[in-house]
Amino acid sequence: MTSKNSFWASSRENHKRRIWVWIVAVLSQLLVYGGMTTIYLSRIRGVYADGGFKTPEGFKEGMCRAAQDALGFSDNLYPIIFVLAAVIGMQGFSYLFDKRKVDMYHSVPVSKNRRFAVIYVNGLMIYLTANLSGLILGMLISTAQNAVNGEVFAEAGLAFVWNFFFFLVFYHTMILAVMLTGNRFVTGALFLMFALYEFVVSDMFEGLKGMYFDAYSARYLQEEPKFSTFYDCIMNIWQIKNAPDAAAAAKIAMPLVAKWIGIAAVLLALGWYAYKKRPSETAGKAVAHHFLEPILKVMVAIPASFLVGRIVYDTSYQNETLLVVGMLAGGVILCAAMEVLYDFDIRSLFRHLLSSGIALVAIMAIFCIFKWDLFGYDSYIPAQNKVESIAISADGYYDSYWDENRQYIEQSEFEKDHMFITDISPVLELAELARQADPEKMGENRSVYILYRLKSGMQKDRRIQVDYDDPATEKLLNRIFATDAYQKGVFQGMTDPDLLEGVTRIQYTNGPARAVMPVEEAGRLRDAWLKDMEQFDFTLVRHNRPCGFIDFEYKDYNRRQFFVYDSFEYTITELKKLGAYYPMELDAADIESVTVTCFHNELTEQDNAVNYGVHPRAVATREAEYGDYTDYTVSETFYDEEQIAQILPHIYCTRVDTLWSRYKDLDENYSVEVVFKRNTTYPYDRESYYFTYAFYAERVPEFVAEATAYSEER
Amino acid sequence: MIEIHNLTKQFEEIRAVDEVSVDIREKTVFGLIGTNGAGKSTVLRMIAGVIKPDEGTVAVDNMPVYDNVEAKKRLFFIADEPYFFANANARAMEKYYSGIYEAFDREEFYRYLEKFNLDKNRKISTFSKGMKKQLALLLGICAHTKYILCDETFDGLDPVMRQGIKSIFAKEMEERGLTPVIASHNLRELEDICDHVGLLHKGGVLLSRDLEDMKCNIQKVQCVFSAVEDELKALNGIEVLKKEQRGSLCTITVRSTREEVEARFATVDTIFYEVLPLSLEEIFISETEVVGYDIKKLILG
Repeated sequence: MTSKNSFWASSRENHKRRIWVWIVAVLSQLLVYGGMTTIYLSRIRGVYADGGFKTPEGFKEGMCRAAQDALGFSDNLYPIIFVLAAVIGMQGFSYLFDKRKVDMYHSVPVSKNRRFAVIYVNGLMIYLTANLSGLILGMLISTAQNAVNGEVFAEAGLAFVWNFFFFLVFYHTMILAVMLTGNRFVTGALFLMFALYEFVVSDMFEGLKGMYFDAYSARYLQEEPKFSTFYDCIMNIWQIKNAPDAAAAAKIAMPLVAKWIGIAAVLLALGWYAYKKRPSETAGKAVAHHFLEPILKVMVAIPASFLVGRIVYDTSYQNETLLVVGMLAGGVILCAAMEVLYDFDIRSLFRHLLSSGIALVAIMAIFCIFKWDLFGYDSYIPAQNKVESIAISADGYYDSYWDENRQYIEQSEFEKDHMFITDISPVLELAELARQADPEKMGENRSVYILYRLKSGMQKDRRIQVDYDDPATEKLLNRIFATDAYQKGVFQGMTDPDLLEGVTRIQYTNGPARAVMPVEEAGRLRDAWLKDMEQFDFTLVRHNRPCGFIDFEYKDYNRRQFFVYDSFEYTITELKKLGAYYPMELDAADIESVTVTCFHNELTEQDNAVNYGVHPRAVATREAEYGDYTDYTVSETFYDEEQIAQILPHIYCTRVDTLWSRYKDLDENYSVEVVFKRNTTYPYDRESYYFTYAFYAERVPEFVAEATAYSEER
Repeated sequence: MIEIHNLTKQFEEIRAVDEVSVDIREKTVFGLIGTNGAGKSTVLRMIAGVIKPDEGTVAVDNMPVYDNVEAKKRLFFIADEPYFFANANARAMEKYYSGIYEAFDREEFYRYLEKFNLDKNRKISTFSKGMKKQLALLLGICAHTKYILCDETFDGLDPVMRQGIKSIFAKEMEERGLTPVIASHNLRELEDICDHVGLLHKGGVLLSRDLEDMKCNIQKVQCVFSAVEDELKALNGIEVLKKEQRGSLCTITVRSTREEVEARFATVDTIFYEVLPLSLEEIFISETEVVGYDIKKLILG
């Protein structure tokens, strides 16, 4: 039996005041889980009815996967849990907003601690009961349709824990918001501010860096929200769902959950402290703690003013003066609006001018820091003795990468985790060269991204613009490219211990040709390629083009590519042994036709220069207007074998990646389509009807140029 | 006893209560008088432990009251606008309060409800303002706390109900030593209830006295003196608070006991004299005028 004034008696009494929240919470969860399970399973049944599953086992597996999707980790749930956390948190403590309720609750002999604990625990009970009810309903529906197995239970259990802590973070966020404010509207606004502030501020700084810093890079160090539970969910849910088993899923989820517990604990501690310090007389006021008013005002005004400025900047075609005006106007309006909100009085527009002034000064100070790069972001090059290692990405090479679970990862992520160049000086010299370079005098201007890992533990991410045509740059890049550390950080095929595991197909292609080889040859080919890679440097890839690629294919469509150059003797020897090597040069006897298209870019540019000046923005605008656009494109198809034979030595198949090679080596004014004869023995990829080529620069045969010349009669 | 010492509370720029010091003795009805904004509600809310004083202390039976459950067990606070749960009836409110106040007398509560013709099953939201105040008072009385704090609770009650509540107060004071503390902006509302009155003005205490003391020490005499010398002789040595004269009829308010006044007037030659009873209003007028305030403007309206 519980005593009259026990915790549970108080709890029961509090529940009576929260019946509508109970109903909303339970109904929402029953509807979501019940509805999702029914719909997902029905979908699988529909597929089965249409013959989409060949075996009953396949159907059962499909049903279980559907149940897993409905009852396990699901994106659909987060907005609902977010809203539930907000509603439960606000409703529980919203008595603090009403003077009459405060008079009653704070005058009766129940301690503040007890009242907080009762409302808090009851909130958790409401959520847990509702969530479990929904989960049980979903399980019952799944069980009734024979759609459960161990994996369904495991994922549902893990997701239950995950969802609970997701709820907890936002529940505590709302409690803190309630304790700092005095009415529902402001509480809701503060709750959203807490939930989104990091996103907004981060976006503001990233936007400013992007606008004003030439060296801005987020390739390696993206400004990821560190305290955003939403972000954690969005970024990790897919990986968790696709983890090979529950243990692997738990391995990804648990560190995040641990972080959330930490965040939730801090929020609860702050909420509790604010509750204890909250003056009862602030019921109904906008902000419960007077000292917070200027702080919140400045905190809101800064990102909001930048947002206003940014909108004005973008809509005014990047007018910087209007950016400043927009920011200041936004700041003034925001500060005034906050004062009105605090007092619910329009006459308070210009109260507390000191804090408004501080906000405006802070806005302008931040702007000036970025505008004039007061902290030297762009010119930053660390001292050599302070750098531990470097990762670098020179524009020109793209590949697919995966982690130990064969899940795709970003190239930058792979480089970051695998490239540790300790020969620092060529990179620093390259950065220095870029700093001193005149962009106007550059040949082929390309981006190079550098991650400096400093001995202090800090990391810096920068982008430099280098001239690939500059001999000094080439020399430095040669030194960098030749290092083992660089190559291991770029070519996963060099280091992947599981490279030969699960290979389903090997093929070589030079563009049109596709030769399949036995998978058992994978090891030999890899070894030959590694030997050839000893000659790898920037000069090789800059002044040559690959003559083909070897593809290792794995299940789930994963692929690993190895480029081959004419100088890769070991690899080519192996390919020849396997009868898979086909040179790039084509035989005119195999070709049905060659269609050459000349775009006559020089005429289009002339038009643009005459009509709109030569400003690139004007050109861009011009290109966006299709109305009076003159099409100078001229195409000609050649069927004559002799003519085709004259064309073939001068073209390069664009199906083959060109890597770091020179842009200007190919003529971008022409496009060439090669169609093979149907009866040829050349092993061209029969899935393609034609193959796209480009002319090498200045190697367009005269008869082709004449045939594709532009004349108004055309 | 409730001891209030140097109680101060400021709401932003407004000093609502300014160094108030008052003792509220047990088994008395303490009236807290003041205009709107004088600080009555703030004082009561601080006594009830709802809000925390900026400075000063409130002790209920020697216990600080703010966030102190033991002290609050001895108090029942009825705010100027008492809160009842949404859609609740009297029975639901009884259940709530009887769960909190261990000595809550349920039988007595339902007896009183019947006596005051309040339907225990009717939604409180359909009650009139007066009925809500009655209900709040009955809940407070039946909570059997030692102190009951009423903020403007009697304003709006009809005379019959007032009388009913008064008699319940009297009974509870007699039986278990209830100490009601009643705040009102209307002096006349408290005249027939209070034993002790504190007058608040602009956050401070203008005066705090026992009504009996005040009544015993202030006398109003109507008389017609035979000669001016008699008047001087009669009033010599006693404090005259007020004197009005219409023709030969003098109305004099003096600070003195009835016996002394009668003794003095008996020794002088008067054509007529009579010591009249003073209303609470008259006592306050006299007391506050002495310290330079016009009580009529403050609380009589």
